Amino acid sequence: MVVALTIFIPLIFYVIPPAFNIDYAETANEFAQSNLGFVTLLIIISGAVFAGDAVSGEFEKKTGLLLFPTPQRRTSIFVGKFIAALIATFLVVILYYLITLLEIVQIYGLSEISIELLKSFLLAMIYATSVVAIIYFFSSILKRTITSALIGFFLLMMILPIITSVLMFVEVDPWFIVTHSASLITDVLGVGGGFQTGPRGVDLSSFDPDFYIGIGVMAAYTIFFFFVGIIIAKRRKME
Amino acid sequence: MEYTIEIENLVKEYNHDIRALDNVSLKIRKGDVVGYVGPNGSGKTTTIKILTNLFPPTAGHVYINGNDVNKDPKEALCSVGALIEVPGVYDYLTPNEMLTYFGKIYGMPKKDIAHRIKEVLMLVKLSSWEHKKIGSFSTGMQRRLGIAKAILHNPEILILDEPAIGLDPKGIKDVRNLIKQFQKENITVFLSSHLLHEVSETCDTVIFLDKGKVITSDSMENIISRTELKMIEVKFLFPISKEHINYIGTIEGIDSVEKINEHIRLHFDGNPNTSYQILSKLISLGYHVVSFNPITKDLEDYYVSIVGDERGVS
Repeated sequence: MVVALTIFIPLIFYVIPPAFNIDYAETANEFAQSNLGFVTLLIIISGAVFAGDAVSGEFEKKTGLLLFPTPQRRTSIFVGKFIAALIATFLVVILYYLITLLEIVQIYGLSEISIELLKSFLLAMIYATSVVAIIYFFSSILKRTITSALIGFFLLMMILPIITSVLMFVEVDPWFIVTHSASLITDVLGVGGGFQTGPRGVDLSSFDPDFYIGIGVMAAYTIFFFFVGIIIAKRRKME
Repeated sequence: MEYTIEIENLVKEYNHDIRALDNVSLKIRKGDVVGYVGPNGSGKTTTIKILTNLFPPTAGHVYINGNDVNKDPKEALCSVGALIEVPGVYDYLTPNEMLTYFGKIYGMPKKDIAHRIKEVLMLVKLSSWEHKKIGSFSTGMQRRLGIAKAILHNPEILILDEPAIGLDPKGIKDVRNLIKQFQKENITVFLSSHLLHEVSETCDTVIFLDKGKVITSDSMENIISRTELKMIEVKFLFPISKEHINYIGTIEGIDSVEKINEHIRLHFDGNPNTSYQILSKLISLGYHVVSFNPITKDLEDYYVSIVGDERGVS
């Protein structure tokens, strides 16, 4: 399903405009911005699918009874499972960017590929790492895989964006919220757009995440949730 | 003497008030096949989970080949294969994929894994299912695959928790034969089972556990001798008349005789010498003895006699 979405979403942006006689975006970066607006959704779906059962799955399905009585330390097992979920999510991101890249080459030519696109790709990889760490954390504290996947998904898709909007509404910079930092993925393409003015005339662009702070926030979420997740997973008992 | 498994004063408490294990100490020699028997909640699975480092004990130590399982699980568990309770399956994998995964976890050389997978799947009769998804397997097949995983890395020690659970009679027989084969290969087997018949068929030693304490442990030979009743069942080639029954009752060593259907039951002092003399006398008197069997209690009766009637066997 994740792979199908990864192929299907960028294809929409390639197939739909000519089908309805609509011109493609003027520049390659504008085209990339529309395409990559969905990469965060895909990262979250992928993280939920691959990291959601990383720890809880072993307890819920009792496969841990096969896996844990082996000469491997629990820490190694759980780090391995984190890396596996991370690699799967990375592959999704790589595939999505690869398809977008091919579309850009096809529409605009090879020369239109910008360094900003590479920056965006690297930011997407960093964001993917933090998303996997967050969902992995829920997987280590919750009993059921479906619960950890859904809580992780709704937290990243709805709860954190809502909190971000509320904070911006009351003129508080939400720099510390990871989903806010994720907007750097498209922001680095240097294409403006969207609503820049809040309901009380507040200039929302002043809350755009800072490049380095954004990376720092994503890294901090990764480190915190990964290590806490590992500690909890290690202590969890196979009753 | 060196012991493969040593359990020293093992205590496990849950929530500080439920004592699942109460100072359990055991020593198991290399090559022994040990049955671990007790009612539900007696602490069998708790012992096995501590033995395999699924959780730590409240107090005490468990050593496998001299390595403390809790402190050095990597070293202790490298020679252990385990099948605990009814584990889940990776239903999206095939046996080949699952066993390759575990071969890597056990640190087996890559070239050995493929060869050994063929061997163990043949042993558990799953060769033709090697590349089929485990999700489509029956309970018995999943159980056999669990055993294949447990023996994949040629362990010296096998810890099996209710290996026959969920199996049909043929599956139970297959598991019994496998255990007998492990015994021949000098593999130490620690087996918990509620099927006392299986324990009596396969184990050298039986440990009885109740309320977290070891009640008794002895060799199967000694237990069987303790379960012998002072009775012999005799069958003859031809039906035997009432006069003959009365006459047999006068033979030295026989306390009384009763006729049960087509055979007779002799009551005697239980001494093997007396048993031999009775048989010799019957033959010398020209009786056509077809069978001459001392009657024993089965292990269930023995178990109930030591644990008590009110607690079921598990």
